[in-house]
Amino acid sequence: MSGHDSKYFSTTKKGEIPELKDELNSQYKDKKRDAVKKVIAAMTVGKDVSSLFTDVVNCMQTENLELKKLVYLYLINYAKSQPDLAILAVNTFVKDSQDPNPLIRALAVRTMGCIRVDKITEYLCDPLQRCLKDDDPYVRKTAAICVAKLYDINAELVEDRGFLDTLKDLISDNNPMVVANAVAALAEIQENSARPIFEITSQTLSKLLTALNECTEWGQVFILDALSRYKAADAREAENIVERVTPRLQHANCAVVLSAVKMILQQMELITSTDVVRNLCKKMAPPLVTLLSAEPEIQYVALRNINLIVQRRPTILAHEIKVFFCKYNDPIYVKMEKLEIMIKLASDRNIDQVLLEFKEYATEVDVDFVRKAVRAIGRCAIKLERAAERCISVLLELIKIKVNYVVQEAIIVIKDIFRRYPNTYESIIATLCESLDTLDEPEAKASMIWIIGEYAERIDNADELLESFLESFPEEPAMVQLQLLTATVKLFLKKPTEGPQQMIQVVLNNATVETDNPDLRDRAYIYWRLLSTDPEAAKDVVLAEKPVISDDSNQLDPSLLDELLANIATLSSVYHKPPEAFVTRVKTTVQRSEDEEYADVGETGYSDSTGRAIDSSGTTTTSSVTAATKQPAPAPTPPAPAAAVPDLLGDLIGLDNAIVPVDEPTTATGPPLPVLLPASTGQGLQISAQLTRRDGQIFYDMSFENNAQIPLDGFMIQFNKNAFGLTAGGPLQVPQLQPGTSARVLLPMVLFQNISPGPPNSLLQVAVKNNQQPVWYFSDKISLLVLFTEDGRMERTNFLETWKSLPDSNEVVKDLPSVVVNSVEATLDRLAASNMFFIAKRRHANQEVLYLSAKIPRGIPVLIELTAVIGIAGVKCAIKTPNAEMAPLFFESVEALLRG
Amino acid sequence: MGIVFTRMFSSLFGNQEARILVLGLDNAGKTTILYRLQMGKWCPLFQAIGFNVETVQYNNIKFQVWDLGGQTSIRPYWRCYFPNTQAIIYVVDSSDTDRLVTAKDEFHAILEEEELKGAVVLIFANKQDLPGALDDAAVTEALELHKIKNRQWSIFKTSALKGEGIFEGLDWLSNTLKSGGG
Repeated sequence: MSGHDSKYFSTTKKGEIPELKDELNSQYKDKKRDAVKKVIAAMTVGKDVSSLFTDVVNCMQTENLELKKLVYLYLINYAKSQPDLAILAVNTFVKDSQDPNPLIRALAVRTMGCIRVDKITEYLCDPLQRCLKDDDPYVRKTAAICVAKLYDINAELVEDRGFLDTLKDLISDNNPMVVANAVAALAEIQENSARPIFEITSQTLSKLLTALNECTEWGQVFILDALSRYKAADAREAENIVERVTPRLQHANCAVVLSAVKMILQQMELITSTDVVRNLCKKMAPPLVTLLSAEPEIQYVALRNINLIVQRRPTILAHEIKVFFCKYNDPIYVKMEKLEIMIKLASDRNIDQVLLEFKEYATEVDVDFVRKAVRAIGRCAIKLERAAERCISVLLELIKIKVNYVVQEAIIVIKDIFRRYPNTYESIIATLCESLDTLDEPEAKASMIWIIGEYAERIDNADELLESFLESFPEEPAMVQLQLLTATVKLFLKKPTEGPQQMIQVVLNNATVETDNPDLRDRAYIYWRLLSTDPEAAKDVVLAEKPVISDDSNQLDPSLLDELLANIATLSSVYHKPPEAFVTRVKTTVQRSEDEEYADVGETGYSDSTGRAIDSSGTTTTSSVTAATKQPAPAPTPPAPAAAVPDLLGDLIGLDNAIVPVDEPTTATGPPLPVLLPASTGQGLQISAQLTRRDGQIFYDMSFENNAQIPLDGFMIQFNKNAFGLTAGGPLQVPQLQPGTSARVLLPMVLFQNISPGPPNSLLQVAVKNNQQPVWYFSDKISLLVLFTEDGRMERTNFLETWKSLPDSNEVVKDLPSVVVNSVEATLDRLAASNMFFIAKRRHANQEVLYLSAKIPRGIPVLIELTAVIGIAGVKCAIKTPNAEMAPLFFESVEALLRG
Repeated sequence: MGIVFTRMFSSLFGNQEARILVLGLDNAGKTTILYRLQMGKWCPLFQAIGFNVETVQYNNIKFQVWDLGGQTSIRPYWRCYFPNTQAIIYVVDSSDTDRLVTAKDEFHAILEEEELKGAVVLIFANKQDLPGALDDAAVTEALELHKIKNRQWSIFKTSALKGEGIFEGLDWLSNTLKSGGG
């Protein structure tokens, strides 16, 4: 039996990928095509077929359009993961962009734009240039969009190659489709750029207006959006533009209609003639009304936009209020929006109709809708003085129904009505008081209490009523407590009798001693002092006459309204938020020169360069890095906090550097760090850390995780003597860590403080303590990579001279057998990221030999020679440096870097 | 007689195409040669970044000719194209004496490849129209062609620009392949 079992380990099955590979390389075309289809199928279900990249790309040059499309699809998906190999596709793109078939030319240029690989973008410029001037409009329009895509990848390249000018020329193209797409591309580019790129002139204006009538509906939307940003020279021009655009209002596509409305509204700002404005308003009403007969979702979008429009120009829909009456089967979100607009459109003329509607709604079943309807009645009362009485009588009728939430909502709005019309409707207070017991919502309670306090002199039993609330004072929400406090003070000032006096004692006591709400406590103290010093002054303050309110709820700030109106027909106008509130641009256009300037500062003094660079770049990322690095340059000996602590730690690891206390919380983000102190060792405290280099400064990137049962605070850190004298350059700032939470900090480090004698080694011993636990010790490794300075680049001649000047005994060679170099460029990129700079390269037989230079602090050069065969494991690494004993550390770090 | 031969060839190659790689440093004239072969005339071309593939019918054999870009950045990917290759056309810019050493190194690196063990090698000493171009003997010397063992090879003087020498080379190639060299 035995001895024959080896056959089980050899199988004839090769697995899916090698099989596909064979089929892709088949010499039969149909087999090849089927194989590509299989690959695409695998790709779409999420299998990783990126290893077939070259095999698929080899099928790219084909007469078969179907096959070509499939390969292009594959490329779009995987070019990013195979950036080096993507270059193999370049030639085919170049060829295809000159194909006699315009469909293939357009396909090539479109796919090129979708491949976001830096290395190949520059090769794609020439084909793109050609396609922008293609004879076929379909190719030109595709190329126009491609410019916008390229701008997103590499804005500088687009500007250098003059694509923006070509794109602007396309606005004058004789094909409306090309014009529309050029406009769309320019608008997109403009959004990503800080400086003006796309500005419509009077020449382009007429081109756009002409194209508007001929292009597709979506093209019309782009053009209308662009036109709405155009600032007409005078009223006359504005009138002319509007006249050309008004026919768009009748378009069947609601996006076109809304864009046209936006454009007209913008230009109307300039038009002075009231006749013209009135006419335009008349014209805009029917299309807006039509939008409300579409599906509920579209109705909602339309309503959100109309909400903005009526705030600016109520006249447009003043006579159309009936279309905003809610239908029984409207979805709730549509009903709510309609109510909002009804309030805005309510006027003396239509208020009777509107009130009938509101009253109807107040008896429906949906609680939220009912509440909103009741509130709407109140808001109409506040808005329309002449109708106030009618509104209030409707409210009183509703209160009589005694539906709990209706009553509560009514009380809330009646409070506002009292504020709006003082001394007019107080007769209804008695009715309100009847419902006192049913109040269970804070807002309603607070409103009722306010009413009692405000009109205490007219309510005979005001003290009794308030007292009934006082019993539950400590349990009430803050809103009610505040009102109770104020109302009791008012009552006392108005009726300084025995009852209220006792009450005020109770309230003040409750609100000062027994509360931990600072607002309540502060207000109580102010009243207390006022009452105890000068009751007359207290009267002046507490019972002062209040200004009359107006209905400004749900009214937008004028500048916000302007911005939202300019964004009609976008998500912004649906959210009623400016675009930047919910869209974050991945790229922010930062002035390059500024960056470099600050980088230079960073070279000379690291103290707070990162902090300033972040502030100055105008981004909103005020991350903790700022906090960490904003610390002044490390003091040689920071002040020692408590005497006992340095003794404890200092003696234990033999360091005289003081421990620095923890005050401000600092957090940082980034990839996960290696765990150095596992929670099992640290009684629940887990510490992960790694040395990193950022902006010319070494940091200890640390993460603290509290898995213990108790909060931990008072963190301090200390480093033992080490080969490079690395130690903390500032205090360790860890906030108090609640159980189950974690914090990440960047601790700035300084060099050459306490150098341990003897040959250098990478050991970094760290001690961390906090107020709750014993001192924890752990060790880390110093990677030489973080020490390499940014100025390590050498001239070729300088390199050669240094190499020659060092004795051969300073050359150390080591084989790194497990390292594989797959691409010279990728390796160089990786080395450069750690400040090892490429000097030269040569080929020796099949080996690549790379020369690099680096510098460790104090200006010690490290000359590096790497010898490798591409794709085969094993790299020979030789270095030459005045500090030859550093070599083992170097090999250790480089091996880790190249293998990682 | 002719019919017999045709049958023999079709049994050799069937409907299959002979796969040929055109290799060489950048700017050696590979793409120009490819289009000479395919269209029979010279046409202005752009630098090939990546690859070109064309089918050429010559002497009753269908050649599937792969022209690979010669830039340093692309050379490492040549190996992706090595499997199932019957022949290599290695193009040398005979006037670019500075880079002949590089051309030699690349050439011998290719010959070392396991996957190309059975491939016939045809060398084009191209750009003979340029003044100062080395002749075939000098190129043979520079490329150390005499070191080639166990493989059929031949060198031709060509000028892709003028179209000289290319089809002679292809004649040799098709004959060698027919006689079973591939």
